[in-house]
Amino acid sequence: MNRSTEVFDVAVIGGGSAGLAAAVAAAREGARTVLIERHGYLGGMGTASLVHTFCGLYLLREEPGAVFANPGVASEIATRMIAATGLGPVRMGRLDVLPQHPVEFVRIADELVLSEPLMELMLHTQLTGISRDTDHWDLELAASVGPQRVRAGTLVDASGDAMVAMLLGVESSMIEAPRLQRPAYVFGVHSSRLLDDEARLQTAGLIVEGVRRGDLPADALGLAFRSSGRVGENFGTLDLTGGATAADYDPLDAFCLTRLETTGRLTACKVVAWLGEKSEFWKGAYISHWPTNAGVRESRRWIGEHVLKGEDVAAGTRFEDDIALATWPMEFRETARGPKLRYPEGNRAAGIPLRCLKPAGIGSLYVAGRCISTDHDAQASIRVMGTCFATGEAAGRAAARKC
Amino acid sequence: MEVSKKKTPSPVELIDWLNDEGVLELEWDFPEDGDLFTAGLDSMAVMQLVVAVEDRFGIELGPEDLTKTNLATPTTLAALIAAKI
Repeated sequence: MNRSTEVFDVAVIGGGSAGLAAAVAAAREGARTVLIERHGYLGGMGTASLVHTFCGLYLLREEPGAVFANPGVASEIATRMIAATGLGPVRMGRLDVLPQHPVEFVRIADELVLSEPLMELMLHTQLTGISRDTDHWDLELAASVGPQRVRAGTLVDASGDAMVAMLLGVESSMIEAPRLQRPAYVFGVHSSRLLDDEARLQTAGLIVEGVRRGDLPADALGLAFRSSGRVGENFGTLDLTGGATAADYDPLDAFCLTRLETTGRLTACKVVAWLGEKSEFWKGAYISHWPTNAGVRESRRWIGEHVLKGEDVAAGTRFEDDIALATWPMEFRETARGPKLRYPEGNRAAGIPLRCLKPAGIGSLYVAGRCISTDHDAQASIRVMGTCFATGEAAGRAAARKC
Repeated sequence: MEVSKKKTPSPVELIDWLNDEGVLELEWDFPEDGDLFTAGLDSMAVMQLVVAVEDRFGIELGPEDLTKTNLATPTTLAALIAAKI
């Protein structure tokens, strides 16, 4: 069947948490939908980058017990994940998070897609060009088998990097490099025993000792280990500076992104080998899994009909056209030495208005996920996967209804 | 100055110092026996703490010192530092 002559109602660019939810929502609204994803599976940060917690799923509250902030695709995926892992929400400090397993997320995403008869999925395919005809978008795609074309009435940019803004040549926004959220390199490590709190603390001490003695690079101070919940399976999460200095980090530069991968792998190898020598716990441990790509937290953002501000998130402001709630505190990782959290007043959830999903002055186009229209501070809250499911679902529904 | 560097901190001084160093963000009225892990002391913050303690107090905390009991509260952490000075 020749797809190039077919016109889809909705095309979704990027199959991460936002794009997956957008495509599912659009198809459920009755739109013939195509979802375009560059990797061989869906899930984005939660699969290709091995980010293993869903943040932003639950309301921020003092009382025990986790309560979903955004019913719909977000809670549906969370419920499937809980069934798959047997692990429910965990309170970390003041926050409820859901441990999620990247392998299960891949399967859950497949199941969601396969259960929508109106949805087509294109894996191994990347958007390279775009033009607007009278009544549809013409998408140029690079597939692993060569160039392809797809046409669609309405577009959802869930690329994470506002790729459509770049390709259309319209104005977008990005904070200066020293203030960008730092990237994270997450990898799998097998150990013979279950990593508990005591082992984790002692591991931290061993890493500092290794850096102090000059056996480990200073980058290793950005590394934390966590059990996947399965015996012997752990994730190492390494926050990286992204360059020689913070100012050298450019999440839109292919050479810089390449260095994240090589630096991440090199540091991971050194630390795991060193721990294996020095620690009884890590004896015989090995790296079991590399990510497909390092996790980028922030890059280019759209400028929409409304720009959500950090002060709105801090005050828990609500809008008439809210489509989702932002419940994750503004989590700043502007250095590779751990987060700084800014909580909203009275634990209030902030509203995300539909206008943040609508690029200013362009019709038949919606945005979802971490590149919606916000400032740098508000992005530190809305970028998490739990919230991306919700903005994705809203964008997909709006695209199908053309509202 | 070596003399002031070696001064043993009180739990309250330690709370201010943890904030100043950016290791943790504790409320001004954070209790001396408040739970530091609940307040965000994860393994990455522990690494920052070890580096900062070495700079400020001139002592090296090793893996054997970093137990849940020793790091539990400002009081236990002050006691750990005092014992090492």
